[in-house]
Amino acid sequence: MRKIASILALVLVAALAFSFTGCGSKSSDGTITMQIWDTAQRDGMQALADAYHEINPDVTVEIQVTSWDEYWTKLEAAATSNTLPDVFWMHTNYILQYADNGMLADLSGLYDEEDPNFYTSHYSEVSLSNAQGSDGKIYGVPKDKDTVGLVYNKEMFDAAGVAYPDSTWTWDDLVSASAAIYEATGKYGYMAYADDQLGYWNFVYQNGGYILNEDKTAAGFDQPATIEAMKFYIGLQDNEWCPDQVYFAETAPGNAFFSGQGAMFLEGDWNIMSEMKNYPDMQGKWDVAVLPACPNPASGDGRATISNGLCYATSANNQNNETVLDFLRFLGSEEGQRIQGESGAAIPAYIGLEDTWVSAFDQFDYDLNVEAFIEMFDYSVQSVNDKSRPNWKSKITDELLKIYGGTVDIDTGLANMNTIINDAIAEAAA
Amino acid sequence: MKQKLTQAEKREQRWAYLMIAPTILGLLILNYYPLLDTIRLSFSKTQTFGKSTFNGIENYITMFSTPEFWKATLNTIWFCVLTVPVGMAVALLVALLLNAKVRFKSGFRAIYFLPMVVAPAAVAMVWRWMFNGQYGIINTILGRQVNWLTDPSTALIACAIVAIWSAVGYDAVLLLSGLQNISRTYYEAADIDGASKIRQFFSITLPMISPTLFVTLIMRMMASLKVYDLIYMMIDTSNPVLPDVQSLMYLFYREAFVAGNKGYAAAICMWTILLIGLVTIIQFIGQKKWVNYDV
Repeated sequence: MRKIASILALVLVAALAFSFTGCGSKSSDGTITMQIWDTAQRDGMQALADAYHEINPDVTVEIQVTSWDEYWTKLEAAATSNTLPDVFWMHTNYILQYADNGMLADLSGLYDEEDPNFYTSHYSEVSLSNAQGSDGKIYGVPKDKDTVGLVYNKEMFDAAGVAYPDSTWTWDDLVSASAAIYEATGKYGYMAYADDQLGYWNFVYQNGGYILNEDKTAAGFDQPATIEAMKFYIGLQDNEWCPDQVYFAETAPGNAFFSGQGAMFLEGDWNIMSEMKNYPDMQGKWDVAVLPACPNPASGDGRATISNGLCYATSANNQNNETVLDFLRFLGSEEGQRIQGESGAAIPAYIGLEDTWVSAFDQFDYDLNVEAFIEMFDYSVQSVNDKSRPNWKSKITDELLKIYGGTVDIDTGLANMNTIINDAIAEAAA
Repeated sequence: MKQKLTQAEKREQRWAYLMIAPTILGLLILNYYPLLDTIRLSFSKTQTFGKSTFNGIENYITMFSTPEFWKATLNTIWFCVLTVPVGMAVALLVALLLNAKVRFKSGFRAIYFLPMVVAPAAVAMVWRWMFNGQYGIINTILGRQVNWLTDPSTALIACAIVAIWSAVGYDAVLLLSGLQNISRTYYEAADIDGASKIRQFFSITLPMISPTLFVTLIMRMMASLKVYDLIYMMIDTSNPVLPDVQSLMYLFYREAFVAGNKGYAAAICMWTILLIGLVTIIQFIGQKKWVNYDV
């Protein structure tokens, strides 16, 4: 009897010890897990999962959503311990880091059987560069592409008697309209705050400057055109019609805009659908326009908008996992991209399907000028990234906040930013 | 002197080991292994995806020469000074009140304990709204315009207030249990001798609960030196006051998980352990002067 009991106890202990190591096991029973970070796109992804399940009834796709910050912490831990989800979204900020470290499966040949030129014939160069590793191979199936536009409050423009923003607008119009609106309504004009993609990056590229040079070997914060644009952008907060950074620390620009505190801010197309739905009272009171151009750029025609794009990736371990590869193939196919566009989640990366996203807005009585986001693809600039971006990203934000807070002057701050990026690049190359 | 164990005792010992094995295993795998690994990491240069190379005391040199790190250390100590004495005093006061003969005593106890049950994230979100410079209820009541969470001189104080509020109930319940162990007879004797209530507090209550007070104090001190979640929830990374309120553990988080600098972060971690250890040792030496274990 005693013997049995001791054996039982041993088994229990062993089971316990095993359970510590056993949490990394993966399912391969026809369930594909797909991890994403945007709650607003959950329905769109679910529609894709359902459509795929319909064609392949023995495969079920399970969508998992985590917040943006947690996503990257988790994904890195998962990559380190070799337990990456089957399919996951990849962002331009991180793809080089993951791809260059051999974490992602090479998907260059995914469509070889149907069409060896599939990618280049259906996806733009910017879309593909957002999905490539430093070696030029494709590590993700392009998912969407985006641009940044100017969102404005029509009622405030009417009250101030200012014409709505259009493609002829320049920075000067942005400033004068803001001043006029503040004068007439007491509300804020254009709300410029410490943000890269939805803020200063656009202005830097409009002015002909750059954050990283073309071969990504040096930072551009020492370039006159970049410095000029940064000074203009940061200086906007000196106007009384623009709230200061302290204000934005408590109130996000989107919240300020949709609660009627300010007249304009920069917004990415991926947020428009949820903003239409989340603020029904505001429908019809606001619209979207292309970004104002730089009136006297150092080079170029003064127009630019940052275009980013996500892609669907899978772990290098799944290089030959046909179940996962077939789902990825579906996601990048015309049908997969169409379903995504029609859900209104994001503009499909697939060339020619941009209109599916635009038509998703037909459900509203009010006709929003979302075509503006599509128009801007003609002069869009690829979102800034290099292999070392995850290492310099937060440090640049810290430095920018110091400039806004007045603890360093703008020239020193920009010089510091330049050094931070150059150091990070050097370290990543070492 | 070592005694030989009998056969029965040996068998019993074997069982004892077997019984504590799950806990010990858990501790080894979940606590001690990570601790050792953190020590190793603090002497390594880390890259993404768990790769690391030994680089001696490089991380420590960088750490001690970074103003941001010293600022975080000061912030942490300042936070501790702000929360612990006041928090303990309030907790003791609450415990005394809850121990007194008042109506709805158990109701009050529940109310004071409630903050412990609420998720810290929810607590922080509600307080953030109350502290909001433009629409916050606190400014409305005060009739003043104070940028509680965005002014470097008030942001940490605001965080301290929330920390005290959340911890008071728990500490008070611990102290209350200490208070209830004090025999009524001491107070009856003091009454007969004509001692005032205040005299009774300092001569009977305080010495009698000093062991409980000491344990609570150590726990609160450690918790406040390790503060992270509260500040993380109250102060966004886009908030310019971040450098002025960032605690060591917040800095650790940002280095390890945002900037991906795990080796450097491990060094910060080791420094924090050292700091907590030092403070605790000082307390254990100091307790001989005021903690009363007789009775």
